[in-house]
Amino acid sequence: MPSAAADYQAILRTLVDHKVDFIVVGGLSAMLHGAPIVTLDLDLVHSRDSQNLERFLQALESLDAHSRERTDRKIRPTLPFLDISGHLLLATSKGPLDVLGTIGDDLGYDELLKHTTEMEVAKDLHVRVLNLDKTIEIKEKLAREKDRAMLPVLRRALEAKRNPQPPARGQRKKRPKNS
Amino acid sequence: MKSKHQRNRPNLSGGRKVSSSSCPRNQNRAYSEDGVDMTLIRWMLSFTPAERLQIAQQSAQSIQEMRNAVRGR
Repeated sequence: MPSAAADYQAILRTLVDHKVDFIVVGGLSAMLHGAPIVTLDLDLVHSRDSQNLERFLQALESLDAHSRERTDRKIRPTLPFLDISGHLLLATSKGPLDVLGTIGDDLGYDELLKHTTEMEVAKDLHVRVLNLDKTIEIKEKLAREKDRAMLPVLRRALEAKRNPQPPARGQRKKRPKNS
Repeated sequence: MKSKHQRNRPNLSGGRKVSSSSCPRNQNRAYSEDGVDMTLIRWMLSFTPAERLQIAQQSAQSIQEMRNAVRGR
């Protein structure tokens, strides 16, 4: 059966509409900062405040979220599942979503918040995105092969962001089609 | 004669691109010392975050469509 194509915007809008406190991390956060990488899922760290967990659970229900790890039946997230520091790999009607209680050295929403930037990622859709320097710092500490492989691109993107230069001639941007 | 693709690839044996743009004084070089394509980074930085989200989404959708097509064969 074909898998659902990722619609990051729809997932993010659902979370924002439900007033969920969360931070976009991982590959998509790096891409939003300008790193040219491809990612197939959306990683986020959520606030584990009890009221936020309630709102988050409602948002996940509206996205028909269920575990990606079981394919024989749909195991839906519950409040106790969301209130853990581990990772929850979900499939939703709008694509894969990885819910992370903490990342790196047990860094949760509250610890990460000061390392984020609010970005408008679509019309009237503002989300908090983990800064590139913090992403690099966390991936350096993780030292997993897949994270190490990504580090040169992230470091150069951060450098280029700090010292902006115009694209070369003939490399003018082409706007993506409006979806 | 080298194709455009070959001309733009880094020299893997030396880790550097063999072209005038590999000159360290050239700030607009195509590849960094560690082989990262700087043209793609500059291209990405020319977009707004909203446009980058669309690029991410379109890339993921294209890959998913291809994966589904391969599975459907």
